[in-house]
Amino acid sequence: MSVWNYAVTAQKPTCVTHSCVGNFTSPQELNLIVAKSTRIEIHLLSPQGLQTILDVPLYGRIATMELFRPHGEAQDFLFVATERYKFCVLQWDYESSELITRAMGDVSDRIGRPTDNGQIGIIDPDCRVIGLHLYDGLFKVIPFDNKGQLKEAFNIRLEELQVLDIKFLYGCTKPTIAVLYQDNKDARHVKTYEVSLKDKNFVEGPWSQNNLDNGADLLIPVPSPLCGVLIIGEETIVYCSANAFKAIPIRPSITKAYGRVDLDGSRYLLGDHAGLIHLLVITHEKEKVTGLKIELLGETSIASSISYLDNAVVFVGSSYGDSQLIKLNLQPDAKGSYVEILEKYVNLGPIVDFCVVDLERQGQGQVVTCSGAYKDGSLRIVRNGIGINEQASVELQGIKGMWSLKSSIDEAFDTFLVVSFISETRILAMNIEDELEETEIEGFLSEVQTLFCHDAVYNQLVQVTSNSVRLVSSTTRELRNKWDAPAGFSVNVATANASQVLLATGGGHLVYLEIGDGTLTEVKHVLLEYEVSCLDINPIGDNPNYSQLAAVGMWTDISVRIFVLPDLTLITKEELGGEIIPRSVLLCAFEGISYLLCALGDGHLLNFQLDTSCGKLRDRKKVSLGTRPITLRTFSSKSATHVFAASDRPAVIYSNNKKLLYSNVNLKEVSHMCPFNSAAFPDSLAIAREGELTIGTIDDIQKLHIRTIPIGEHARRICHQEQTRTFAISCLRNEPSAEESESHFVRLLDAQSFEFLSSYPLDAFECGCSILSCSFTDDKNVYYCVGTAYVLPEENEPTKGRILVFIVEEGRLQLITEKETKGAVYSLNAFNGKLLASINQKIQLYKWMLRDDGTRELQSECGHHGHILALYVQTRGDFIAVGDLMKSISLLIYKHEEGAIEERARDYNANWMTAVEILNDDIYLGTDNCFNIFTVKKNNEGATDEERARMEVVGEYHIGEFVNRFRHGSLVMKLPDSDIGQIPTVIFGTVSGMIGVIASLPQEQYAFLEKLQTSLRKVIKGVGGLSHEQWRSFNNEKRTAEAKGYLDGDLIESFLDLSRGKMEEISKGMDVQVEELCKRVEELTRLH
Amino acid sequence: MASILGDLPSFDPHNFSQHRPSDPSNPSKMVPTTYRPTHNRTLPPPDQVITTEVKNILIRSFYQRAEEKLRPKRPATDHLAAEHVNKHFRAASSSSSTQGL
Repeated sequence: MSVWNYAVTAQKPTCVTHSCVGNFTSPQELNLIVAKSTRIEIHLLSPQGLQTILDVPLYGRIATMELFRPHGEAQDFLFVATERYKFCVLQWDYESSELITRAMGDVSDRIGRPTDNGQIGIIDPDCRVIGLHLYDGLFKVIPFDNKGQLKEAFNIRLEELQVLDIKFLYGCTKPTIAVLYQDNKDARHVKTYEVSLKDKNFVEGPWSQNNLDNGADLLIPVPSPLCGVLIIGEETIVYCSANAFKAIPIRPSITKAYGRVDLDGSRYLLGDHAGLIHLLVITHEKEKVTGLKIELLGETSIASSISYLDNAVVFVGSSYGDSQLIKLNLQPDAKGSYVEILEKYVNLGPIVDFCVVDLERQGQGQVVTCSGAYKDGSLRIVRNGIGINEQASVELQGIKGMWSLKSSIDEAFDTFLVVSFISETRILAMNIEDELEETEIEGFLSEVQTLFCHDAVYNQLVQVTSNSVRLVSSTTRELRNKWDAPAGFSVNVATANASQVLLATGGGHLVYLEIGDGTLTEVKHVLLEYEVSCLDINPIGDNPNYSQLAAVGMWTDISVRIFVLPDLTLITKEELGGEIIPRSVLLCAFEGISYLLCALGDGHLLNFQLDTSCGKLRDRKKVSLGTRPITLRTFSSKSATHVFAASDRPAVIYSNNKKLLYSNVNLKEVSHMCPFNSAAFPDSLAIAREGELTIGTIDDIQKLHIRTIPIGEHARRICHQEQTRTFAISCLRNEPSAEESESHFVRLLDAQSFEFLSSYPLDAFECGCSILSCSFTDDKNVYYCVGTAYVLPEENEPTKGRILVFIVEEGRLQLITEKETKGAVYSLNAFNGKLLASINQKIQLYKWMLRDDGTRELQSECGHHGHILALYVQTRGDFIAVGDLMKSISLLIYKHEEGAIEERARDYNANWMTAVEILNDDIYLGTDNCFNIFTVKKNNEGATDEERARMEVVGEYHIGEFVNRFRHGSLVMKLPDSDIGQIPTVIFGTVSGMIGVIASLPQEQYAFLEKLQTSLRKVIKGVGGLSHEQWRSFNNEKRTAEAKGYLDGDLIESFLDLSRGKMEEISKGMDVQVEELCKRVEELTRLH
Repeated sequence: MASILGDLPSFDPHNFSQHRPSDPSNPSKMVPTTYRPTHNRTLPPPDQVITTEVKNILIRSFYQRAEEKLRPKRPATDHLAAEHVNKHFRAASSSSSTQGL
């Protein structure tokens, strides 16, 4: 790998942090707006449910988000503030369907201590001011003028330093805040302040309330006419206003989210830490609060946001589990729950750990994550590409073509599967036992190769061979008519649909036939100047049985031509360029747009938009799918049409949002494919590959597939052991009992079924910190090693831990030996046939020793001190990279002769690490808790020892995500002979459920893409006016520096989403053809 | 007794009326379009790029006090009367209270 890196998203963030409801896209439309880390999703409420309108990437991590309605506006505006102290106000323009920035700004202060409890951004309900609490002791006010425009912001000193929550109160003549805070004796109080805009100061507010619940953490402002505020504690809920105080006790719980139900604020939904959802009711008489009531409604995912939508349907956003759409029923069900779960939205976050494995042994990595938290914990299997679920297969060598046929044109299912070989044609059909059996269609020729077959009108079948076209009755299976090739000419290529046949014979003769009831009429014959290489008459017009156009690919001049049927009038001729002949053409329509696809002999695919009225081709694009000739075929899945491109690297071509997408099919090589929708195998495909005919169904057509294994507990480490086909996880279970105890386990799972095979409970207070599958010198067994820590409430850092060594025997975990350690075993690595552990501040190497009695033990060999906490360790050869709690990366080396570990070099920056990985002997990758990634380089050429001991920072970049783990590997199958296959990649997983890829590019490609990125920055503007350059700049508490050594793959790949005009603008600026740009960017999308 | 979940708000009775739970072919499952703004209104109007007043809070309060000392003291009733007006004309309160800035 190199210092020239490309960072790109494979799976966007999935965890929901904020949500709100309002009339955003139009005064009449009700929208749900959801924030997921760095993205905003805009949904529309409709009779069918939630419709996602748009996914909006933001150049910032969303800290707060609110909808508000300025005076005189008919629809809501969206206020978003980011963690790096930027904010923007967005408005939706209904006419153009665009987001408009109404205002934006920087609300950072040069001096100030960032708040510990997160940033607060609130809007006065009467829209007079926006309030921000970003630094301890300061409250920032952005006033609105009387036209709804924002004015210069100012700070007000806030006496309370430990603020837990701030909300604006309703119904106040001046903007008034309620502040929930903790004093220096840890008691909690609420105080109110009026914001005096004139004096830029606070004025003591109408009321205050001292000595609240010690767990009070959340304020809910109550709208007019009741006004006041609800203070949500862990044991009590209090309603407080200038003239009322009501309190009720609650079952101990931590409220994580709330949602207002009624506009007058008399009912609220509260979601707690255990995923229970309660209804809080304010009872009132004549606008006077008389009491509070709380009722348990049921269980959902652990909520981070709750938004009441409409008609008893509620959105529950979650960062710990899948977000949900729920319905509140009037009456409880049999289990006493009022909650009905209507829909789930997949969330991978937080990805605490993951491993990359090739479960299906197809040479392609799948990511298995430890996802979610507490009761919503799960394992997720994330796989790229489209899988084929094999239903049946037979060994058949030398397949040259396949077609499915029906026994009558009105039948729903296919009956026959025609399989053509070099000198024969065999017909398979399903028999009564649902088995494929060889049969005969008497009217077909079976001792020659079939060039094409199709169902035809009037219950007929058509077969084209090298010297004839045969029309056969599908009921009697007897020949009804035939057309013979002229003497001396043989048919080279042919195609047909239900009523037309187009074929080409040697010498460039193109013949067009029409099918009638028992008739086969030669309608037209033209002589072309060159031989025909491929042709197609797939109907894309209104008549599904008849095509107006024919597409023909040519030898010699390497062109593709469009003819009008029935006269075979040439209307378009497109030179393809290059020397590779077109091998397959296809007319097809996706989402109402007609395309011509043209596959070349070298695995490239050209696509054009086709104007069916005049035959004009435009917006030519080229992608590289494989390296060998491609055969194109359409098929349907779930009532949508897709194209299958059979080659050495099979792919499915489909359309989403009017853009063509290419998804890999998870098969190594496919020579032919045809849809085969039989009664026994509905919606299936017949696939010819590697001497085999397979019938299987196809996955949903999408790029990433996620399978969920709910485990109901929090998995924190995962490891795969190939030899035993198992996974081991270390996890914790929260006991729902009174004392909130947790118990920790090591569990063994089957790698195929993900069933729990065996469990090993850890001691009280002991938790698993690391897990490893390894083997040792002079021992052929493979073991699972588990590192633990005893986390005692009275200790700041663990002082005791264990290393447990297990072997898998008959699907059980057997403890072989254990070794006590003097601290937490944060990391375990296999190292030169030994075990390398990081234990608190120390790196320790253990030998695997045979005792006299034949048992084994871990024996300490050597170690290395000098870290604060050695949290993350990776090894390569004799090198050890250590990611320290706060001292960035250091590089150690193991010296065999001396049996010692020494420091070789370190990065002297103070980065608080969250993960490390070794890219190669010289380059090391790390991430910190300020959401940056960086690369450091070992200095081999330094003149002095001191210089050589210093690692040079060669790349830094703000990824904007909290990365928990890096792993070498790839989500896509890599072909050794493709350029993309040569690019090494590292996968990472983050707290927000994002999966990303870092790819090391050759320097030349990096330079090219850097130019493209610079051009794209000018064309694609940051939503809310936020700057891409600023967003990607390295940033921590001390320092901000321009990004280097990394490119933003998400921005670069968005080139493909641009309109043709914008593409051309960039193409001109860079002096590179659009087609070339598209091809190079499209290739990058195939990295993930 | 009526359910505690009775009379839940309904803004448009049609919403969710035809919702079919977890239909895999539901187009809402499709990946939504990612927004790539290329228009000019992504940049805010020049007067709506907000910054924070540079004057330090402490210095601001010094100036405020100095001004107050220099200014002839207004009768307190004046101030109260202004407050009073605000209470009666709530809608106008935002404009009246911000005009002084």
